[in-house]
Amino acid sequence: MPSVAVEPAAAFTVPVPRGRGRQDWRSALFVAPYLLVFVAMLVVPLAMGMWLSTTKGDLFGTERWVGLANFVRLFGDAIFLKAVANTFYFVLLTVPFLTLAGLGLALVLNRQERWAAVLRTIFFASTVLSVTVVTLVWRLVFLPDGGLLGVTAEALGKTPIAFLNDERLAMPAIAVTTIWWCIGLPMVLFLAALQQVPRDLYEAAALDNASRWTTLTRITLPAIKRTFFLVIIIEVILQFQLFGQPQLMTLGGPNNSTRPIVLFIYEAGWRQWELGYAAAAAQVLFAMILIAAMVQYRLSSGKEAA
Amino acid sequence: MRWGWLLPLAALLAGCSDAKPDKTRLVIQRFFGACEAEYGRVTDIAAAEGECGIMTAMINRFEAENPDIDVVENIVFWPGYDQLTAQLAANDAPDLVTMHGSVISDYQARGLLEPLDADLTAIGAPPASFTSAARAAVTVDGHAWGLPIDTWAPLWHINMNLFRKAGLVRGGKPVLPRSPQELFAQAQQFRARTGKPYLVQGTANEYAGFTRNFYTFVMQQDAAPFEGGRANFRTAAGRNALQLFRTIYERDFTTKNQDYSAAVAGFLKGDGGVFLVGTWMVGTFDAESRKTSGALANGGYTVVPYPKLFARETTFADGHNWVMPRNNRRTPEERAAGVRFLKFFAGHARHWARTGHLPAFQAIIDSPEWRALPHRDNLATLATTAQPLPKDVRRQFPIETIVGTEAAAAISGAKPIDQTLSDMERRVNAVLDNL
Repeated sequence: MPSVAVEPAAAFTVPVPRGRGRQDWRSALFVAPYLLVFVAMLVVPLAMGMWLSTTKGDLFGTERWVGLANFVRLFGDAIFLKAVANTFYFVLLTVPFLTLAGLGLALVLNRQERWAAVLRTIFFASTVLSVTVVTLVWRLVFLPDGGLLGVTAEALGKTPIAFLNDERLAMPAIAVTTIWWCIGLPMVLFLAALQQVPRDLYEAAALDNASRWTTLTRITLPAIKRTFFLVIIIEVILQFQLFGQPQLMTLGGPNNSTRPIVLFIYEAGWRQWELGYAAAAAQVLFAMILIAAMVQYRLSSGKEAA
Repeated sequence: MRWGWLLPLAALLAGCSDAKPDKTRLVIQRFFGACEAEYGRVTDIAAAEGECGIMTAMINRFEAENPDIDVVENIVFWPGYDQLTAQLAANDAPDLVTMHGSVISDYQARGLLEPLDADLTAIGAPPASFTSAARAAVTVDGHAWGLPIDTWAPLWHINMNLFRKAGLVRGGKPVLPRSPQELFAQAQQFRARTGKPYLVQGTANEYAGFTRNFYTFVMQQDAAPFEGGRANFRTAAGRNALQLFRTIYERDFTTKNQDYSAAVAGFLKGDGGVFLVGTWMVGTFDAESRKTSGALANGGYTVVPYPKLFARETTFADGHNWVMPRNNRRTPEERAAGVRFLKFFAGHARHWARTGHLPAFQAIIDSPEWRALPHRDNLATLATTAQPLPKDVRRQFPIETIVGTEAAAAISGAKPIDQTLSDMERRVNAVLDNL
């Protein structure tokens, strides 16, 4: 086997300019535009949000500094605590299903055939729709009086179920709507990952007479492990920000069973004009998303290291 | 020459502006929907129909009669307060805005509206000429903060064809209940003879109706839902009001799980006898009753205020108004243009009365022209019986959602009535305590 001649590392070393400070300045120039936008659009608003959460005021001005009073009030507010519980419940309903169903669809549709391409398009199509359209469609499905499920139930001689008016069923109904709407993104991410798995691994497995299950668990899943965790992190972040679906389908009802944190923030800030209180709730949501994403990240990093 | 490129750029930027230098610009921001396709060029107000049509025709006519004013009409998605709040926070206030009476005190308390007492008197529409409900809607701290457009209230819209079948018509008029017990008895009779529920209600994803009913029947018991600017719901009156609708729900005297659109469609196809909805549907249902087919056909429709089930004849009411947001950059000419529009609107207010809403001017209510409109004789009493909430109750808009959500939970049986009243009061007072 011919060996590849490796040139001395020194030959590839970039010559260090005489003034190191000048080099740093040039490098900083490259990242400066992004850094400026990042600071102006993310860091500053984040800091302002944190400051607002310690004040009492509305959109027209801050009345006074109240320290942690907004947070104390939040954690004694039964509606906010219910909104936190609702948000976690929704994330639990959607994220595992979106991840596993997205993976399943990607595995089935990761083919060159035309039917697979058509189905990939169909499954992704719902993702491009706006939340207004999606919720309108699904309200027409769930409506017991003339809706698709209601008409079907009546045709079968059953009493139509008022999914959106039932405290136990309203959130699962919103979860179904969301899964239908959002399934495209995890599917596409998994498809992209699957297409990166080296073909020769599958050829070797075929030569070894490996079963489909063995191929899946020993080759495919380990190869797309990073994407798996990426999908979970993305979906956790996205679904924690639930807003449009309950706002348009249930207004947070019935009996506050579908009010998520973002709807609570909107109502507190825009309807009740309590900007400080809304900002405090937003900080709690930010912390929740951050912790959830970090835990996922740690878990995935730990598994990879192991 | 180095700066020569600036000239075409300046010309280009100037071309981007839609300002007409010889005209005074008047920005009117309103709800009531968009119907430019049908009414975009209509200036004959008498030929227009419905809220959107009449409003669009009035603005078109004003613009046609005032060529020195460039009217910019900004139509917002109902109710548009998020947008208005953002505009005011960004110092981008429109000149005139449609605003519910229940919301005026929120903006007035923050110094965001201009008082209009002197202007209203100058244009010949002094507050003394308004109905008591309309005057109450725009008056805060002794000043008038807007020109009332109308007063609206929830009404008892009746399918007379089904009422006849149920034996609830006497002398050509509907037999109305005078107590909760009579209501249950009539609803029972209605169901027995027609096989349908007595009431039609839009209750899915819709909480305002619950609130209006709650306020109305608390007020009918001579009780005040708010006292001294704080909620006062844990009363016998509050309990009775919720119990009334809980019984109606439990005994299937109402349609269930219909959203607003389904309830409107349901009433039009004869789902029940009485539809609880506001003044804005009078025109639509009356038009249906002039047809020869359909559930309301051949005059099978009438409408009355909520019947007196307790001690006092009253109905919770709100109303639409024109207000002028404060804007330090508004020129005297722009302000004068706004006032001129208010004068025009007041002068043509009789046309707005065709929408079904109660006129804001007592003279119109007393006029034979208005009384000759369909069903208006039945509704004239609202001028004195319609009752908005007191002006010291701010944030009525979010409070409406809280009261409605809680009331819905009690009525459907998801929550005991006493706990509901307690939660409702605590939540509403938490909002009021943190103004």
